[in-house]
Amino acid sequence: MKRDLDSKPEHQKYRTLSHTADLGLRIWGATLEDLYANAGEALTATITDRRGLRLKESKEITVEAPDREALLVAWLNHLLYLYDIDGFLGREFKVRELSPERLTATARGDIFDPDRHVGKTAVKAATYHQLEITRTKDGWQATVILDL
Amino acid sequence: MADQIKLRQVDEYRWEIPQEGKMRTRGLIFASKEMLPKIREDKSLEQVANVATLPGIEGPSMAMPDIHWGYGFPIGGVAAFNLEEGVVSPGGVGYDINCGVRLLRTNLERADIESRMETLVDTLFGNIPSGVGSRRKELKLTVPTLKQVLRYGAEWAVKNGYGSADDLAHIEAGGRIEGADPEMVSQFAMDRGKDQLGTLGSGNHFTEVGYVAEIFDEALAAALGLFKGQVTVIVHTGSRGLGHQVCDDFIKVMLKASAKYGIWLPDRQLCSAPIQSPEGRQYLGAMAAAANFAFANRQMITHWVRESFEQVFKMGPRQLGLELIYDVAHNIAKIEKHLINGKEKTVCVHRKGATRAFPPGHPETPQAYKETGQPVLIPGDMGRYSYVLVGTQKALEETFGSTCHGAGREMSRHMALKAAKGRDIIKELAKQGIIVRGAGKRTVDEEISEAYKDVSDVVEVTHGAGISRKVAKLKPLGVIKG
Repeated sequence: MKRDLDSKPEHQKYRTLSHTADLGLRIWGATLEDLYANAGEALTATITDRRGLRLKESKEITVEAPDREALLVAWLNHLLYLYDIDGFLGREFKVRELSPERLTATARGDIFDPDRHVGKTAVKAATYHQLEITRTKDGWQATVILDL
Repeated sequence: MADQIKLRQVDEYRWEIPQEGKMRTRGLIFASKEMLPKIREDKSLEQVANVATLPGIEGPSMAMPDIHWGYGFPIGGVAAFNLEEGVVSPGGVGYDINCGVRLLRTNLERADIESRMETLVDTLFGNIPSGVGSRRKELKLTVPTLKQVLRYGAEWAVKNGYGSADDLAHIEAGGRIEGADPEMVSQFAMDRGKDQLGTLGSGNHFTEVGYVAEIFDEALAAALGLFKGQVTVIVHTGSRGLGHQVCDDFIKVMLKASAKYGIWLPDRQLCSAPIQSPEGRQYLGAMAAAANFAFANRQMITHWVRESFEQVFKMGPRQLGLELIYDVAHNIAKIEKHLINGKEKTVCVHRKGATRAFPPGHPETPQAYKETGQPVLIPGDMGRYSYVLVGTQKALEETFGSTCHGAGREMSRHMALKAAKGRDIIKELAKQGIIVRGAGKRTVDEEISEAYKDVSDVVEVTHGAGISRKVAKLKPLGVIKG
């Protein structure tokens, strides 16, 4: 994986990092709540073109994990679970409650329909490999590698 | 960093990472000199060294020539652990539990089908759900049925009319891993699996119609039922969302278990538990269940491949001769008996992106291949070729009976998309006589031929090193991608 040389452009929520077989995500957020919400958006954007999703379904999600890094993986993998069971993909995420071990959020989005939506890349899972959440001078940054 | 990993040449095909620091054994990489610069570009060698630190490892921590950077274990990694102190690691199997390949033969020759390829590929594409989020609407399994699938694998599929008992004799472990425990598979995993049985999925998974382009060993080819110009079918897929969820569920369990049993981890993704611990046994039971789901999945897809051929060519099963040559798992942990320093020992062999390659006469080599060795199926990329190999005694002695599993990516998906930009890959392949149908242009673009290493380089190393033997080369005529 290449380290990103440039600093984050303003207002950017995430970018992808190149990894030979898989895909890395670098995610930013002004707050930890934003960081998790933006990670949700980044995951959806990997699977489909987010702009094609309508805000017609809403899901209440709670996940738990031993620490905030593991919580990021648990959050993303729960979103993959929702996608697998009935095709739900979130377009907007609102993290309502957050501790290092527990996250409660609302996801609003659409049911994936191959006739209306673009299928981009299938994601098997978010992994713990090189998983990282760090403080930056203007908020938080996370790195997570997806198994494709 | 990868460039700090020391590598000592053993012979033309073998490279050793000397045992250093926390490593409990050496690393052994099968590769040619030409492959090394590319291998050194990422951190896969560091991953081989990391695996060598895990408790109870027997023999070296190994990597096959299609080694590339994974998460935790490298892809192409092989590692065996004893039952006394050894560990089992979900990261040493991967998210796609029992991702694997099967090969079918036919009585048809290339000329018999070439003019009907478009129709055949469209029919396959219509009959086998493929792509991002593919599911079968008409086949939603109830929990009791799904549990049967998890327990009995391909046997369940055959019993329910998908294929014949003869198929089972041509699948690794008979299409059913013993010790599967559906009760260890979470409700989340069951939810994900209930309408994904019989689906291809996405990414590098495919069903490919091809032909035997070259034979390297006439006697072995004949014994496997292969002849030059013959039409063949390859199916490459795994355990879908059910397997991914089992892996994720147990990584959480193993993160805790690693701390509980005092296992030092250089990378969290290597988290593991002693094989004999409750956590270790529970994972093996759940993994076997997911592996059985994958065997059933490939078995059902095979059924629809047969139906598609019957529909297009208006021929019966006997005339078509679509028989299973073999089905191998290339992401799995197996409890096996191996000779170690002259003593038989039971070990847990992790093969992550590596294929079992048992020799002639081995008790687990199926009856049909007692003389030839177990068939090994190595898919290449969609524009070039795939290989059929057989296992050898050398593999059994040196690599716990393991060899490579595929070409391995050379370009990231991002680079592949860039390389495909402005091109019509489907048209380019059609010009070469390969009909491709994909659920999305993007998947096809990500999977362009040049994104992969040349699989023949990988196969040459395993053949040269003696850990498998070349039998035949297959070329694609039509491919359905997810």
